[in-house]
Amino acid sequence: MMAEEFEPKIVAFLCKWCSSAGSDLAGVSRMQYPPNVVPIQVMCSGSVSPLYILSAFNKGADGVLVSGCHPGDCHYIKGNYYARRRIALVKQLLEYIGLEPQRFQMSWVSAAEGTKYTEIIKDFVQELKPLGPQTKLRRAQ
Amino acid sequence: MVNLEDLKKEASAVLKDEKVKYVIGYQKSSNGLMPAPVFINKPEDVEKLIWNPTCIHNLTRFLTDERQRKIKEKHPDERPVGLIVKGCDSRALVVLLQEKLISREDVYIIGVSCENAGVVDEKKLAKKFKDKKIERIEFDEKDNIVVTTKDGKTKMAASEILAERCLECKANFPVIYDVLLGEKTKRQPENPFQSLEKIESLSEKERWDFWKEQLSKCIRCYACRSVCPMCYCDECVVDTINFAVTADTTAEEKAQKIKWLEKSPVLSENFVYHFIRAIHLAGRCIDCAECERVCPLDIPIRFLNKKLEKAAKELFDYDAGFDPDHPSLVASFRDEDPEDFIR
Amino acid sequence: MKRTGVFICHCGINIAGTVDVKKTAKDLSKHPGVVHSEEYVYMCSDPGQNLIIDAIKEKKLDNVVVACCSPTLHETTFRNTAKSAGINTFQCEIANIREQCSWVHKDMDKATEKAIKITKSAVERVRRNESLEPISIPVTRRALVIGGGIAGIQSALDMANSGFEVILVERSPSIGGHMIQLSETFPTLDCSQCILTPKMVEVSKHPKIKLMTYSEVQDISGYVGNFKVKILKKPTYVDPDKCTLCDECTKVCPVVVSNEFDIGLTGRRAIYIPFPQAIPATYTLDIKNCPGLLPIACGKCADVCEPEAIDYDMKPEIIEEEVGAIIVATGYDLYDKENLAEYGYGKYADVLDGLQFERLCSASGPTMGKVLRPSDHKEPKEVVFIQCAGSRDPELHCAYCSKICCMYTAKHAMLYKHHVHDGQAYIFYIDIRSGGKGYEEFVQRAVEEDSVLYLRGKVSKIFEEKGKIKVWGVDTLTGKDIEIDADMVVLATAMRPSKGAEELAKKLKIAMDKDGFLAEAHPKLRPVESVTSGLFLAGAAQAPKDIPEAVAQASGAAAKAIAILSQERLFHAPTVAKVNLNLCTGCEMCVHVCPYDAISLKDGKAEVNEVLCEGCGTCSATCLRAAIQVKNLTPLQVHEMIRTSLGG
Repeated sequence: MMAEEFEPKIVAFLCKWCSSAGSDLAGVSRMQYPPNVVPIQVMCSGSVSPLYILSAFNKGADGVLVSGCHPGDCHYIKGNYYARRRIALVKQLLEYIGLEPQRFQMSWVSAAEGTKYTEIIKDFVQELKPLGPQTKLRRAQ
Repeated sequence: MVNLEDLKKEASAVLKDEKVKYVIGYQKSSNGLMPAPVFINKPEDVEKLIWNPTCIHNLTRFLTDERQRKIKEKHPDERPVGLIVKGCDSRALVVLLQEKLISREDVYIIGVSCENAGVVDEKKLAKKFKDKKIERIEFDEKDNIVVTTKDGKTKMAASEILAERCLECKANFPVIYDVLLGEKTKRQPENPFQSLEKIESLSEKERWDFWKEQLSKCIRCYACRSVCPMCYCDECVVDTINFAVTADTTAEEKAQKIKWLEKSPVLSENFVYHFIRAIHLAGRCIDCAECERVCPLDIPIRFLNKKLEKAAKELFDYDAGFDPDHPSLVASFRDEDPEDFIR
Repeated sequence: MKRTGVFICHCGINIAGTVDVKKTAKDLSKHPGVVHSEEYVYMCSDPGQNLIIDAIKEKKLDNVVVACCSPTLHETTFRNTAKSAGINTFQCEIANIREQCSWVHKDMDKATEKAIKITKSAVERVRRNESLEPISIPVTRRALVIGGGIAGIQSALDMANSGFEVILVERSPSIGGHMIQLSETFPTLDCSQCILTPKMVEVSKHPKIKLMTYSEVQDISGYVGNFKVKILKKPTYVDPDKCTLCDECTKVCPVVVSNEFDIGLTGRRAIYIPFPQAIPATYTLDIKNCPGLLPIACGKCADVCEPEAIDYDMKPEIIEEEVGAIIVATGYDLYDKENLAEYGYGKYADVLDGLQFERLCSASGPTMGKVLRPSDHKEPKEVVFIQCAGSRDPELHCAYCSKICCMYTAKHAMLYKHHVHDGQAYIFYIDIRSGGKGYEEFVQRAVEEDSVLYLRGKVSKIFEEKGKIKVWGVDTLTGKDIEIDADMVVLATAMRPSKGAEELAKKLKIAMDKDGFLAEAHPKLRPVESVTSGLFLAGAAQAPKDIPEAVAQASGAAAKAIAILSQERLFHAPTVAKVNLNLCTGCEMCVHVCPYDAISLKDGKAEVNEVLCEGCGTCSATCLRAAIQVKNLTPLQVHEMIRTSLGG
């Protein structure tokens, strides 16, 4: 009997105008990627609060992705610059307390980058599988 | 050396001229070596003031109550509060000014320079002197500390019992003041993040084990939050269960309260609490280390905030608590902010 | 508890092929709050929509979730469906189970599990949505144009001709901008004044245009549809209705200063008319250079003014106007020659910039259209034109290309040759950019018909020696150093934003790009709009461009402004930020991060201007105490979506 392979659970915060559109494009192009990611559409990557990221890990996410527009292309002009700074701080602190750095990722995905989104998800799932379930921040059931 | 008499004279002068509501400083406490804060209304009471290396408390904390006091009082006293601050305390003041919690006219700053020294670390003292009752601690001229016990005086290099943060201090005299006592002797620490680097240099597993051990101790007493001048929010975001319900609180508002964390002090919840607190203090914490001092379980909380202080400096060239007109760390960005971590 | 209806679309086999829609509907029916759950082959079709309407009415649903394709396709469709069934449009949310689920996965079990999570997530969100109506704002149906060059003139005329009142503000005594200084324009060699002055006259006579020259915008407040502007009308000390342009005043004025219209090539009096065809047709007394009026130090001009048009008692006025839309057309200035060390710091009289050369060529210019050296008024036989003077030089000067210099340099060389038949024109260039209609042919004409010599290379230095300007350059195509003893040098200097544009941009809160030009909202698709709603850009103020482009952009900006002015009320999306005053401490972090300057402090707490707010949520993530949140995507809603996405 084959042991059931660990399937990581990923929560992805996608900005509506770029990354979610890029994800839609991946769908329209029928690109295939693992179903481990559940997307949550937010208006702007700048609206992703550190609380959301921590809460996702606390509720059992094995990986968290924040994705927004490339610098200079933000639909709301500069939300992504604030996201860049805020997420950098969250990432620094997560790694510092000993959470595996591969578990929290940020990307710039434009509405034209369906392929890039697909690759990001595929790579993310592959990187998380050997790490196993995230237990450090997860609330005990 | 800062002369205590000068300090008393200064406090007395502003009280006599009725320039301030009261002067907040340090007095001998009824309980052991460490002082207690004191609110002085009358000029003659300045005799209670003390000044020595045990004056650790960040008295800026009392200013965060001023705002509420003014709102509640029918005829509020509009005069400023007189506040005795060290270099680190003054940086907390700058952050409060930056965030407009207080305005410059609300405080009369009596700055005291630490000169070439700082404040003592209670735990280091205890280690060195064990059960001996310490009667007095004073600085002497050449960067030494003289500790007087029943058995006599012991002189040692200040660095042996100074708080670790003092050894890494970036502002050993107040950065903002109305009057300054003591010399503006600037001391540049070789490496302001030296103590932090010991933890940073651990492996991922070692770091996790370290923080797991430390934060498992946490009982969520929130003393760290209570003592921090920057934790002045009426409602703490991670602890919204304890929100103030007034006659005006609507059902909608009650329904909107988010339970980000369980109240129980289990490791995962402790982590999230301390993590969010550290993130919210990014660019605001000025390392007065009061949080660590008041923690009943000796958790080295300072090293969480310190990590982000270093990140702010190295990634964004940001120093907290020096310029009240500068936008906050998270409310600004630079074109050159690093993005090498972004795919 | 609110009653939710869930509608799963098969989308033919697009969704149903990979997602078990029946299982999804069944699973959702058990979710707390869901009182109706069904699936149908095409939800967006009429019968599909009717299913939703019927369910809303029969089951008295408070809100609905439609699990289907991307919201970009049918969010509006289903929100209208909800509205027609009698519930608020915002009580309908879409769960994307096609583009982000069924189309990208193959494993039916896993895809279904994910589709269920996505749909439940949407249910948790919609249950907490507020019912909202679009924000309606009244519109002041008048416009303001700042800048009276060709772009400002064109946009003012377009809007006035559409029936809207326009206030045109220009800081100099006459409209016309730089175009009126030109002699002939490329590629047609039209006389610039001949084509521009009729438009200027049209502006002055137009019943819908209120022309305010010698005036500057001091202050702007408000927002789209409702701007309040304060305009400073500087005193000209001459009544335009009385002035007959007899010119007697200049004959007696004792003051001579540099004439800005001729860019220093001539002088003018303190009382002057910038050029004969000035609109408004009146003289102006330049108080900065007049010996003084308090007390009256001279008074000679008023003495000789027969129509008694001169009024020393004129005072500056601050005029307040209300407008609904603003077009900024503040134009350009040329990069100062003084910055160019290699070309003499602007010290040599016979080294001119493009506009100075235009004035020489102009029939009504300082030399009556003859090309003469400013130093000794002799005709230059060898003229060197240097392109890219200060342009395409990121290290020392301007990094960008100013677009028009290749064309006007070719024109200048041709005009020179037309004036001085036996002269020789040399043009030092790096590239030739001649992309407009007829432009390439124009440049070829310069080479073929007027024997203009094009030398590909830069000029390293010019200096004066024995009455000539020595030019040291290189011809990279032959590899030879070139030395020319020129009689005159014309520098094609970079186009810069107009002086004072930066201060105005700060007042208007328009962003500037890295070169100081006004920033457009989107470089490709929104070239005439600024990021601030109701503020539009036209002409060289936005970027270097030629006259046909400025005119096109001006008409474009006018069309955008008309879109606002033609409505009595504007509607704005209501999913805006809201402040909880109990939690706000007035730290102003949200004020700093808002990309639209939509937040300000009122009584020490944040206040959101709902008209300017675009609902991005940056404020919400920045606020340390969750005191500001965006309606219908609150942290609580996101919290619930996270929980459900992870199977909670």
